[in-house]
Amino acid sequence: MPRPEKTLGPEIIKALEMTKTFANGVRALDAVSLSVRRKEVVVVIGPSGSGKSTLLRCLNGLEDIDSGEIMIDSIKLDGNKKNRLAVRKEVGMVFQSFNLFPHMTVVQNINLAQRLVRGKTEAQALETTTALLEKIEMTDKTRSYPAELSGGQQQRVAIARALAMHPKVMLFDEATSALDPETIGGVLKVMRNLALEGMTMVVVTHEMGFAREIADRVVFMEHGRIVEQGKVEQFFQNPQKERTKVFLSQIL
Amino acid sequence: MSPPIGLRRYGPGLVKFLVLAGVLGLVGYHAAMHLDYPWQWYRVPGYLFSLDQGIFTPGPLLEGLFVTLNITALSLVLSLSLGLSTAILRLSGPISARILARAYLELVRNTPLLIQIFFLYFVLSPVFSLSAFASAVLALSLFEGAYASEIFRSGIESIPKGQWEAAKALGLNSRQTYVRIILPQAVRRILPPLTGQAVSLVKDSALAGTIAVYELTMQGQIIVADTFLTFEVWFTVAGVYLAVTATLSLTVYFLERRANQGFQYAGG
Repeated sequence: MPRPEKTLGPEIIKALEMTKTFANGVRALDAVSLSVRRKEVVVVIGPSGSGKSTLLRCLNGLEDIDSGEIMIDSIKLDGNKKNRLAVRKEVGMVFQSFNLFPHMTVVQNINLAQRLVRGKTEAQALETTTALLEKIEMTDKTRSYPAELSGGQQQRVAIARALAMHPKVMLFDEATSALDPETIGGVLKVMRNLALEGMTMVVVTHEMGFAREIADRVVFMEHGRIVEQGKVEQFFQNPQKERTKVFLSQIL
Repeated sequence: MSPPIGLRRYGPGLVKFLVLAGVLGLVGYHAAMHLDYPWQWYRVPGYLFSLDQGIFTPGPLLEGLFVTLNITALSLVLSLSLGLSTAILRLSGPISARILARAYLELVRNTPLLIQIFFLYFVLSPVFSLSAFASAVLALSLFEGAYASEIFRSGIESIPKGQWEAAKALGLNSRQTYVRIILPQAVRRILPPLTGQAVSLVKDSALAGTIAVYELTMQGQIIVADTFLTFEVWFTVAGVYLAVTATLSLTVYFLERRANQGFQYAGG
């Protein structure tokens, strides 16, 4: 598949030696280092329990790392509350279970953080929201509540909600894993367009075809470690590590 | 012509209800007639209110009702604020606040309300120069607040973790998350038990009479002592409480229906 050429920018995520052990003793991250450049799309794959979701959740401070260092757009993500909020302003996240606010309509869901966090007026927020609804092809559902939407529609709204903050990085945590097969396509389409527009993305997914299509780089994790990473063609066509070969043979 | 839907749906139940009510009424009437008691219902309205040349004057029972409503309204506001703050402190406050909140809950829930009222009125009110009315409001607020806080806590805890995470990921701070995301959902869920708590408050306010607050029950007691209209007055007093609590429950019921229009709970 021909891909448009893209020039990557400077590093925007710099994570060094991240280690995280859960209260039950499971080591979710074991000295993981990852850097992501602007406009780069990094896809993280691996068996369940390999730490890929934890990795993502550490990058916007939903989980704290025990040791290591995370810099996002030159802001250090540490115990400092201000820094944490500053990072979250710049990093959008999409969850497996959508997590839309059920007591708010589609428009209210997308408007809320623009007003509270970005300090926009209702009219300014609505302008952004309307443009985003067009992008996710949901202009007819503005007044619907999440419960009235299909899973795929909910996830598209969740993506729009994150994008409304004008994030510099988007994190996708198995965004299509909870969806009915027929609604996955619409969500992948939105993500694909986002990648083409040059959004910096870190994507955890099980959709290997999709990974191949949009990734610049693939990271394979297991037992809280990065086993192998590389450019997408190289990774899928010529994996280096034995463990990667076995994993790929199981899922492809 | 078929009967309207409402009649078809509720008709059979309504008939059963009327039959049951009729039987109970007959039994009650029979018992009352055979009771050696001189019923004097005609004297009761005068204690509720009087109309003198078209001028409405509330009688002692209505005066008492106003005091009862006053105590209840003030205590409701205070106990809800106290309940909410205690719940939030228990869930996300520093450890010292959690211990304090827990101690308050255990102390209040494991001692009788009457003793708490006496303690506040006889021990604390001279120190802080509180009126009997203020002591009653404070005691009731502290008591109901403890129960309200447990209701708030369960409501807040019932909101899925994903809602917190979505709010955090969007950059909302914890106050915004509580006010905009968690509480609006939690309150919808806990409206029924909170209403029950408000109804308890109305009834428990009767205990304020023990420290010489002239609320509804106290007024009833005074009239009974004066007139020996024991049954008439106590039935009337009970009826007034019932009217207040039923109005409260119905109001909340309709509020709830309105709040939930178009809003359903999806998982997550």
